[in-house]
Amino acid sequence: MLTSEHSIVEYKAGRAVPDRLRQKTHRHYIDYAEKMLSVYRTGLGLQRRRLHQQIGSIFEDEPDCPVRRIQAFCKLLDDGSTFQADPSGEAGKLRLEVFSQAARFHPLVQQPDRLFEHEEKGVKTQLADKLGVSWNQIEDALYADVMAYQRLESFAGCPDPASLLSRYNVAQLQACLYKARGMTVIATDDLKAIVRYAKLARLLHDIIRLGPSKYRIDFSGPATVLRETRRYGVNFARFIPALLACKGWKMTASVKTPWNQPAKLILCDTDGFTSHLPAPDEFDSALEESFARKFGPERNGWQLIREGEILYDRQKTFIPDFTFRHQDGTQVLLEIVGFWTPEYLAQKRKTLQQFAHHKILIALPEKAIRKDAALAENILHYKTALKLKPLMKILEKIRTEKVHSASILR
Amino acid sequence: MYGRDGGLLLSFRAMVGMESQKRIVLSFDRGTLLLSGLECRESPNVSGSSVWMWDARIGAWRCDAIHYGSIRSIVNGRFTPHLQDNLPQPVSVSWAKIELPRARSEQAEALAAWTREGRRGQVIMPTGTGKTEVALAAMAEARVATLVVAPIRDLMYQWHRRILAAFDYDAGIVGDGLANIKPITVTTYDSAYIHMDKMGAGFALLIFDEEHHLPGRCRREAAILSTATMRLGLTATPERSDGLHKDLDWLIGPVVYRMPFRKAKGSTLADFDVVRVPVALNDREQTTYDECSRAIRHFITSRRKETPPYTWRDLCKESGKDPQARHAQKAYYIKQSIEDRAEEKLRVLEDIFRLHNGRKTIVFAGSNAMAIEVSKRFLAPTILSHTRKRERLGVLQGFADGRFPVIVANRVLDEGVDVPEAKVAVVIGGQGSTRQAKQRLGRVLRRSGNIRATLYEVVCENTKEVMRSRKRRRSDAYERTLHRRV
Repeated sequence: MLTSEHSIVEYKAGRAVPDRLRQKTHRHYIDYAEKMLSVYRTGLGLQRRRLHQQIGSIFEDEPDCPVRRIQAFCKLLDDGSTFQADPSGEAGKLRLEVFSQAARFHPLVQQPDRLFEHEEKGVKTQLADKLGVSWNQIEDALYADVMAYQRLESFAGCPDPASLLSRYNVAQLQACLYKARGMTVIATDDLKAIVRYAKLARLLHDIIRLGPSKYRIDFSGPATVLRETRRYGVNFARFIPALLACKGWKMTASVKTPWNQPAKLILCDTDGFTSHLPAPDEFDSALEESFARKFGPERNGWQLIREGEILYDRQKTFIPDFTFRHQDGTQVLLEIVGFWTPEYLAQKRKTLQQFAHHKILIALPEKAIRKDAALAENILHYKTALKLKPLMKILEKIRTEKVHSASILR
Repeated sequence: MYGRDGGLLLSFRAMVGMESQKRIVLSFDRGTLLLSGLECRESPNVSGSSVWMWDARIGAWRCDAIHYGSIRSIVNGRFTPHLQDNLPQPVSVSWAKIELPRARSEQAEALAAWTREGRRGQVIMPTGTGKTEVALAAMAEARVATLVVAPIRDLMYQWHRRILAAFDYDAGIVGDGLANIKPITVTTYDSAYIHMDKMGAGFALLIFDEEHHLPGRCRREAAILSTATMRLGLTATPERSDGLHKDLDWLIGPVVYRMPFRKAKGSTLADFDVVRVPVALNDREQTTYDECSRAIRHFITSRRKETPPYTWRDLCKESGKDPQARHAQKAYYIKQSIEDRAEEKLRVLEDIFRLHNGRKTIVFAGSNAMAIEVSKRFLAPTILSHTRKRERLGVLQGFADGRFPVIVANRVLDEGVDVPEAKVAVVIGGQGSTRQAKQRLGRVLRRSGNIRATLYEVVCENTKEVMRSRKRRRSDAYERTLHRRV
């Protein structure tokens, strides 16, 4: 990740536009990226400051390149590298040794005289002899642990030039978000992944259903209701790679310009950013996958949508596996309970109780049902695969019995 | 396992309903206070105040932790016996020993004023007059879980040492890669900003050393996210150029004691001289310097012909789009580094070392690179921002014991780091702000015997550095200055 010092943002007409290298306008950057990678690939043993100098010289005559962009590339390349860190403090020990021995010769002068007889070069040679190495070697090792003087040990880096450039683009996006006060996502797909990753990034949400499978989610942190704060900018930035891996969303973040004017960072799934995270799995389990294939996208007027609705009660959310939506507007949810460790079942049971007023269909493995249990109407059971016939029967029953269809979803 | 759940569901709901009537819970949530169990219409705010805000996201009332002192009794009075206070209570501490020097009268006065004000407020005393002793005495009396916030890691470790020496207490450290929270903990402003949402309920007393760092837009959250009801701010120079120091009144408390700088000089502090030493660039440096100046001037003049009020800021803006502008920008940085690392400065240093041989001398460099250059030339130990704890302790101790006659510091020693008995300080680079000047003077002025201290400023002639040196001397700390060439 970059720091705020690397951030390049252009503000125009109330919009914040983070620096971005595009195929169209920055095609030649692929060559630069190749050169940068080769500096690090062939630069084993070089000091960090030398590597950075070499990166800088690549852009010497490039008209379109702010200094911060060069520094940002250096940071991203450093992030993919390991440098000799001197964990046992060898350089520190050497300094203590050398400085302690040299103290009695202070001051080291260039022209010795009757008052001060310790000539710089002579003392240094003398010290080097005592340690059994040359003075050049000592001077080289004396501050080898200081960041700028550390030597490159290995570079795992980037697989190819294009990935370095897309990593740069995402990193600038994140750096812009460090200053964000709030973030709103309007989502139609991948609802589960979006909500889950936002929670992992320790964000609070405020969810509003805008229509069938369409939600507005405001993300924020605890203190956001009290005052404007940039405190959660890092959380937004951490969340962004996950969001970029999803589809069907539009994001607006509120930031401030350096002149303290409000500005918006607007982004959507089709903007073409490449996340280093994989897209969320289409299905949670093979069971769901085979069911979806068997059902097809539509059957008897019922459309099948994966994870199409969010049920929410303040910070508790529940996204059932499937939504059935009929042409006449009736909507029914289905949750397939697959795993059955006792803890998982207990947790699921609690969730379902909390959202019981939605009357969700629940598919249970037969093994998890007590022999003598009297099953509620909304329980389906399966052995290896979910049968369509009883499912269609319940769906139709809900659709025709008005009382149910009205209360299916708020 | 799933049966007809109607009955169970009903009783579950009924239980929730009963609970909400019965219990009102006060808790700490990532730097804020939560009051749950009330509805939106049941505001806990008393008339005129609006510290509590309804948080619809979770269905509870929320306020910043800093308000704990003012809401505590109100909430208690209103909701007892239904109130369940889930706030972790800061522990009290008992000291294994208390070993503090007898307070000087102004220190005792400061402490008394702070205690009178309900243990909330700011004490303003010049560097070298014993702010740390006032804070330690406050800790000794309060005997509560305390967090000390210092500007930089060196100072954080210094507080750790002082607490160990005074109370025989090995304080926790949050910062420098450590997160070891104990009833008495030391940290830095940056770490406090990052971690206060986790540890904000753990302390009853906050001590902000060099409190003028606190009111920054982000750093202030270190004060806002804590429930501590006792707060002590310390500084020699509260004023900030952005005017935000007025917020210290509510972030910490009112100014309870202020000792004027003039009073400190001559009584508690030793007298001192300031000597400005102009140095010239050598031929090679001067040639490059002039070339760079010409390049910049040429570039700006040509730009001004096209767009008249062309400034340095425009140049920086353009540097991303125009290699010429970038080259001009680079020329500026080369000029700066020539000023910073002029060879002549090393020669002057040699002269100063000769002149003051046998006196402990600190050299303040303007950059890491220059500090290392001085260190390699004179084989003197350095304290840089990334010097590890053990090494920096060793260096400072060695300097105190007289094993090292000279130490070279980057800006890290700017504020309040104890450097015992340094009598000569040499500034060979740095920015021209008034506060830095006062703080740096504090290093050489520390009371010890009657030897006059000397502060040398080594500046390049005919360069911007001269201007910075003049600006630096505008501060009233420099009123009695003495100029001479070495």
